Amino acid sequence: MAERLGLHAGLALAQARAMHPALEAIEEDAEADAILLEKIADWCLRYTPLVAVDPPDGLLLDITGCAHLYGGEQALVADLGARIAQTGFAYDIAIAGTIGAAWAAAHFGKPASYACGEERSLLAPLPLAALRLAPDTVAALVRVGLKRIGDIADLPRSPLAARFGTGLLRQFDRALGTEHEPLNPRLPVAPYVAEQRFAEPIAREEEVLAILTRLAARLQFALERRGDGARRLELALFRTDGELRRIAAGTSRPLRDPAQIRTLFVERLAALADAFDPGFGFDMARLSVLVAEPCPPEQIGIGGGEDAAQVDRQVGQLVDRLSARLGARRVRALIAQDSHIPEIAAVSLPAQAALAAATDPGWQSFRHFRADTELASRPLRLLQRPEPIEAVAEVPDGPPLRFRWRRALHEVIAADGPERIEGAWWSEHGGPARDYFRVEDKSGLRFWLFRSGLYRDLTQGAAAPTWFLHGTFA
Amino acid sequence: MLEQLRQRLQALQKTVGIGDGPGALPLGIAPIDAALGGGLARGALHEIAAVSEAHLAAATGFTLGLTSLPSPRLRGEGERVCWIAEDMALAESGAPYGPGLDAFGLAPERLLTVSAAQPRDLLWAMEEALRCRAVGAVIGELRDSAVGTVALRRLSLAAAESGALALLLRSAPSREASTAATRWIVGTASKTCFAAQLVRNRRGPLGSWILEWSDSDERFLLATPAQPVAAPALDRSHRQVA
Repeated sequence: MAERLGLHAGLALAQARAMHPALEAIEEDAEADAILLEKIADWCLRYTPLVAVDPPDGLLLDITGCAHLYGGEQALVADLGARIAQTGFAYDIAIAGTIGAAWAAAHFGKPASYACGEERSLLAPLPLAALRLAPDTVAALVRVGLKRIGDIADLPRSPLAARFGTGLLRQFDRALGTEHEPLNPRLPVAPYVAEQRFAEPIAREEEVLAILTRLAARLQFALERRGDGARRLELALFRTDGELRRIAAGTSRPLRDPAQIRTLFVERLAALADAFDPGFGFDMARLSVLVAEPCPPEQIGIGGGEDAAQVDRQVGQLVDRLSARLGARRVRALIAQDSHIPEIAAVSLPAQAALAAATDPGWQSFRHFRADTELASRPLRLLQRPEPIEAVAEVPDGPPLRFRWRRALHEVIAADGPERIEGAWWSEHGGPARDYFRVEDKSGLRFWLFRSGLYRDLTQGAAAPTWFLHGTFA
Repeated sequence: MLEQLRQRLQALQKTVGIGDGPGALPLGIAPIDAALGGGLARGALHEIAAVSEAHLAAATGFTLGLTSLPSPRLRGEGERVCWIAEDMALAESGAPYGPGLDAFGLAPERLLTVSAAQPRDLLWAMEEALRCRAVGAVIGELRDSAVGTVALRRLSLAAAESGALALLLRSAPSREASTAATRWIVGTASKTCFAAQLVRNRRGPLGSWILEWSDSDERFLLATPAQPVAAPALDRSHRQVA
């Protein structure tokens, strides 16, 4: 359209406006373009899982072994072209044996399908820019009269490399296929994939779940054959209008039972609620196992007893369901760590990760440690971070007489301590030593307080130690 | 036909959490067990509220004490305990602390904590957890959100179905009507004691007790009454009365 009006890329805007006063100019937004390109790349996942983005305006698809699903390369190109044209984009497609050759054909040559081994004849008539070279390299080549790729094909290699750098020859070799060029797919390729296309788009949640179960059953065979189980799954739903819905779910143990996979996604869909917008329906679904782990064969319980393995399995299922609905970060297990600093000694980790490392002996060794050292008692609830309090102590190193926490004044009637806990002196961010006290106030409430910093360490002019409240006892 | 419907209706109207549950968990304290009709009913909902927010730690301790009552269902490694709390509850009152729990008799590896963004999620998670056969007790911690009788009834039903203990922990007593089997108001008493007040009991009388948690036995004890001012008279039978 623009070319018919006599406009072309590189024309000054003022000149274009002079030719066509009604011209509307839209600023380029590289970021938005990049996002759009990625969206199109995601959409192309319906043809192959190996899709790479080639900025600013290209996509590379590795369709090895995928074309037959559409009835050949030509049919695939026709399908892809029709769908892209429907959404209103102009496009050039070429299929060739190497990334370089396909790129050159799409940008400079005749968009078509070329067989492997045709690269040399395909490339020869094309300009050197088709080798994806830097503009100054192309300019330097043109200066010495080398314009087409055919011009350099039969030249001795070492003078070329010496004069124009090894980049030129590498690009040439890659286009010819004598050197391998890896494709960097935008998304990691899943080890297990099952997909299904529908003649009629589906939109209802039940239909999606039924398809999911069928796909999961197909994956189950593949997983069983290799003794794997899924730790992370993704359901990709391709909407007819080109949108892509990707729904991921994690598990606490390797999983391959379709019924259990289904329950996970039931929760995920429930959590999505309205965000799961089927529009005019989905015309393709793909279930991929993103992370697989070896999984011992399922053992059927003998005698129906509630053995430990069964308990673990049930807990794992509960954790998976809760994590799928509420988010993995919200479901946590407590882990003991080898540290004397109270807030580091026990941390909570997402249960899905923690259960996987179930044989963690942390608490066992903590119990030994507590028994051996007669550890002073610890509060039931620990505040997320110590809260500063205003405290008055009788003697500098003694327990507080009274303190004010969250605006309430507490008169201390009994105190136990101090329990001195050194800071992490080996680290820059270790913080000062703490003296912990267990105090009881008039109404019987019991708190875990500490003084941060010791008077013995106080240097001239430094701030006095401050008090914090760290936890509450039952 | 009519008779059939009547029977079905009867089955549907069965009171929840009473009698038909999988038994009771004795606290090992005679007067309380007597009031509760043998012990804390399993497969039922129990509400524990702190006297006021400041006493929440005591109410937490009491609740945890109830979860460590010896349960006949799973032996050995023990049933899991699921602690589901609102985000605000964890931020305001502190998160469960492993070393403290361990000393209290709840092995931290048995605990699963869940934080819920809103009461609806919390109730859903409680129901899910109750359905899991490996979970022996579910604690739901609410700050001051109202739950609604329907939700409470659902919890009671889920608990009755599974036989697990459903415990609702609140930072202050609530006036909501409820299907809970028992309702407690707990505060601190001096010297590591709980003042537990039973304010609702579907099986028997109410009462109020001063309890003490024994770390070594991992059970509640009735706090010994205050020492009398004068020492009790010693038995001096070997002395001859002049």
